[in-house]
Amino acid sequence: MTKVSNPMKPYLGTLTGVKDLASGIKLFQVVLDDATRECFDYAPGQFAFLSAFGVGEAPFGLASVPWRSEELEFAIMEVGTVTSALHRMEPGEIVGVRGPLGNCFPMDEFKGKHVVVLGGGIGGAPLRSVIQTILDRRADYGRLDILWAAREPSLLIFTDEYDEWRAAPDTALHLTVDLADGNWTGHVGLITQLLEKVSPSPENTIAIICGPPMMIKFTALTLLKLDFVPEQMIMTLEAKMKCGIGKCGRCNMGDRFVCIHGPVFTCTEVYDFLESVV
Amino acid sequence: MVTTTRESLWGWLDNLIARYPVIAPRRVEGVPLFRRIAAADEVAWDVLRTVVSPKAWLFPDSEVILEIEKRAGDVTLSEPPSAGEQILFAIRPCDARALRSLDAMLVDHSPPDVYFARRRRQVALVGLACRQPLVDCFCTSTGGAPDDPGDMDVMLYEIDKGYLVQAVTERGTSLLSGLTAAETGHAPPAPGSRGESRRMAFQTQVSVPEPAAWPAHFDDAYWARLADRCLGCRICTYVCPTCRCFDVRDYVTGAGPGIVQIQRLRAWDACLAETYRRAAGGHDPRPLKAQRLRNRFYCKFLYVPEDFGAIGCVGCGRCIAACPVNIDLSEVLAEVAQMVARRQQEQMEVFALPQTEGKVSERM
Repeated sequence: MTKVSNPMKPYLGTLTGVKDLASGIKLFQVVLDDATRECFDYAPGQFAFLSAFGVGEAPFGLASVPWRSEELEFAIMEVGTVTSALHRMEPGEIVGVRGPLGNCFPMDEFKGKHVVVLGGGIGGAPLRSVIQTILDRRADYGRLDILWAAREPSLLIFTDEYDEWRAAPDTALHLTVDLADGNWTGHVGLITQLLEKVSPSPENTIAIICGPPMMIKFTALTLLKLDFVPEQMIMTLEAKMKCGIGKCGRCNMGDRFVCIHGPVFTCTEVYDFLESVV
Repeated sequence: MVTTTRESLWGWLDNLIARYPVIAPRRVEGVPLFRRIAAADEVAWDVLRTVVSPKAWLFPDSEVILEIEKRAGDVTLSEPPSAGEQILFAIRPCDARALRSLDAMLVDHSPPDVYFARRRRQVALVGLACRQPLVDCFCTSTGGAPDDPGDMDVMLYEIDKGYLVQAVTERGTSLLSGLTAAETGHAPPAPGSRGESRRMAFQTQVSVPEPAAWPAHFDDAYWARLADRCLGCRICTYVCPTCRCFDVRDYVTGAGPGIVQIQRLRAWDACLAETYRRAAGGHDPRPLKAQRLRNRFYCKFLYVPEDFGAIGCVGCGRCIAACPVNIDLSEVLAEVAQMVARRQQEQMEVFALPQTEGKVSERM
């Protein structure tokens, strides 16, 4: 939970890096001002609002882990007004950061278990913090299967980190694209098809899903077919938000707010929502 | 408990007006609204219900939450100054009770909304008991009473020759210093116990289904039927004293060489709005009007009670009066109560029969 006296007032930070991640997707690296840096104590799964002052603010999942760098990292696709304004910004410019907000992945509860990470498109952004946590505490976790999907090869994110992921012990990266181009030699098809092919054992395993709503829905159904139960399926949801602290009323799914009760939910919780997610 | 004359009360009120901004029901070109008054004779004493609820004085329909100034390589953020102490005068019990619900949603649930919380701390409520309900008032159906002083600092009761005056809080006692009044020797009446309150004929009386009864009827076809005539105009949310949904936007208000001035505003928003949930990229978990209309009722009677332990509706009747297509909340509640009764009946019949597998209805 945020420690500032006014949770609607952002911290100020400097864009230290803006890097192309994929077609229309950039990685934004932000260093907070000295006075506020230590207030921003975050865990994998949490999110923050980024302000492009004069245009507005929007919530984004944190794609980094605090122990690797003082830079907060966000993978952002250009889709709306705020994301377009952010995409026009350059290193050195000042942004607002409000957070960290929401709950986090219970990484300690996953210790000793095999983990299947299922990321669809830009939905992979918050899952990168899960992958980095496991890689940095590799002995604490069992086998790691990363199923990483995009509509087409140019939309795959964090491609320059695949070597690090593949090189980690007891870790496998499985890529798929819906539509291949001439250079693609890997799997072609939906993540659900890749999942059936990889067919991870549900035994002592946690599956973590993030992606577009349809991807989450059908990935969860495929996991059920593979004998996973909802309790071992974790998902992180996204919603349009204005406050991130349970006030603005916007992100409710029935009586649950994505911002304060989530964004990380078990599949059991999601199936209990009065309103279905998709 | 003291009594005072009309003249004494008006004199005391003029004295208050000299010291604090006093906001009271006033007719603005014939429309009763809570507005700042300059003299006691501006108060529209006969107005039982202003068109818009007084929540707007604590949670304005639009307010600046940050002043932002961008200079080359530098950004400064400043919060707007406090409005200072103010008095909401002649506020009715339902509207004061609605503020308690807003407290639960915006302040008690951590972290607090500092903008609302600050104004709330700085406002004193001088209540005025209702002597008769409007045709669509139903405060008693939601647990309120037309003479409930519970949420006030001072409560006024109109009597034949003036007013009964009750100091409810310490703040109320200090506000009342300087009022010429006679001690009645009686203790304050219990809410709803006064003769007038008992005699009041509420034409609208409903039984509000318990929160736990609502989930079973989420997928009922009734919601789509009701939404057929809803215009999606959102007036119900605009006049509602407990609706608190908001939007946040930036506006560039000025620019000069190397400098840009920006205001970050928040403004009331409504779950009935077509774009309310539509994310950039187009995904919308509530694309149908029926889903959005249903959300309003479920928010009031299930989500707010469950999430914040507060009531979501105080029975002020504003949404009933304002709806251009006569969607009547009391009728909606009666309809849900019937669904609940039918379901109970069916369940009793099912118990009498051999167990069959339940049918899961299609979600909207």
